[in-house]
Amino acid sequence: MVKIEFYDPTGVQKTAAPPAARPSTLEKKRIGFVSNIHWQADRVLSVVKTWLEKDFPNTELLPIDKFPKGSALIDRDETAEMIKQSGVDLVIVGNAA
Amino acid sequence: MIARKEFAGVIKNAVSGIGLAPDVAMVTFPIDVFLPDSDLTALEGRREELYDKLMRWTPAAAKGDSAPMVSVEGKTYEEALIKANDLFLAKQWGDGLPLWPATRERVDWILRGSPWPRDRVLGKFPPRGTTTTVESCAIALAMAGGRPEYLPVLIAAVEAFLNPAAKADMLQATSASVFPVVVVNGPIARQIKLNSGFGCLGPDPVHPAGASIGRALRQMQQNLGGALPGSGTMAVWGQMRYTNAVFAEDEDGLPEGWQTHAAERHGFARGTNSVSLVFVTGATNIKRRGAGEETAEEDAIQGLHVMAGFMAIPHTHYAGGYDNGTPGVLLMSSVVARSLAQLGWDKQRIREFLWEHSKLPKEQLRKAGAPAWFKLSSSQAVRDSINLERWPITAKPGNIAIVLSGGAHSSHGFWMQAQNYSVIGAKISVPPHFESLAADTKSRPLVNGGS
Repeated sequence: MVKIEFYDPTGVQKTAAPPAARPSTLEKKRIGFVSNIHWQADRVLSVVKTWLEKDFPNTELLPIDKFPKGSALIDRDETAEMIKQSGVDLVIVGNAA
Repeated sequence: MIARKEFAGVIKNAVSGIGLAPDVAMVTFPIDVFLPDSDLTALEGRREELYDKLMRWTPAAAKGDSAPMVSVEGKTYEEALIKANDLFLAKQWGDGLPLWPATRERVDWILRGSPWPRDRVLGKFPPRGTTTTVESCAIALAMAGGRPEYLPVLIAAVEAFLNPAAKADMLQATSASVFPVVVVNGPIARQIKLNSGFGCLGPDPVHPAGASIGRALRQMQQNLGGALPGSGTMAVWGQMRYTNAVFAEDEDGLPEGWQTHAAERHGFARGTNSVSLVFVTGATNIKRRGAGEETAEEDAIQGLHVMAGFMAIPHTHYAGGYDNGTPGVLLMSSVVARSLAQLGWDKQRIREFLWEHSKLPKEQLRKAGAPAWFKLSSSQAVRDSINLERWPITAKPGNIAIVLSGGAHSSHGFWMQAQNYSVIGAKISVPPHFESLAADTKSRPLVNGGS
């Protein structure tokens, strides 16, 4: 038999940090929305906000336009800092297509 | 995240690239949901799933350190080679065409061309964020049929690619069919027989360096960066990206007083080995020569008007590199350059002419819906440009890249329309014994007069 041994070309990805912990409930949370405005993001987020208002009445939902919108503006460190300073427990970040 | 099903790979690559496990809490839908005036009632049935993702989702484990070597066996070498290529397809490691298995022997041979140790880290390949080393380059070049003397150019191209200013994380994933163009300046182009003349964009069996280097870069874009068609990259058509475009500037053809692209764009003195990387999304031939009734002056002006016409489109991607990137790369042959130079033109004057004559009427922009995009730009210059009566395709003439290349012929120009944020330059480092490596290339036949 002839054997050819060669390198796997896909290398290794190092995981530096775990994702943010999931909240055990959405009740009594302060929730923000961040929209890139593309692909019907504002419309989709409005639907999600309506669901949350109905299903988690004790949850505080910030307006969808509370934070800067659009791909360029949401990609800025200033926007991330603004979200942190807002005191939200979590943000729901747009959609993608 | 609410996402289109086929976009999941792009999203996983993106989070992996920022150091998280390559997984995201997603609820996916067909693209119809995401189109204008879409029916969103499909969302309703997935409400509980969305809540579940918000509260109870856990990520899949990241791919850890795996055995770096794989193997195949066959009764003959031919059979083993077929099995190796079957494995490439099964693992989605290649471009679909046959590849060389990157054996230790072949990779060690390629690494003779490295100026640095094999484990030197060049960065993380975006968007997936795979650690990229000199050895990663050598493996890709081995698979792409490369040679040791090509490695310095590939390493420099990868360094340019990984430069954050290139924003390759976005361009790798975009639905536009973007591909990188690498222009090489300096004596190394001739040393490795990188084409600057007839057929420099390939294919060219006389000057195989460009195809091997570009194919290796493409392997890395996919195998390390995750740009797998239809899942890791949304490039709708893909576009002839097997080898990208790697070619040399025809420095010998530059008229007296004209600077090299590397000198103009990156400040690299002539004689410096360097690459210049720009992402483009289109490549088209421009017939510029007159029918024969015109004077030399008229031929020059008419030809420039034709070129400007190809550039003058309401291409909203022009906005990405509006301030300091480029609207595209104009390839000009030495014959055309010489004719223009004899009439008193230099690259800067040509750029100013093209900039002025490629301006678009405001109304044309409006009809194309471009201002709505420009309003979203992070560039003040782009936002301000909405109000101009005639819209320049880039903030200043100097952004238009002109590279001398192609066969010595007067009929055509070539326009590579960009989608980019910056034009990235990088010097090429070579090992001390590079002359002897290059001599091996030199000993092979040179059929025509390209570099």
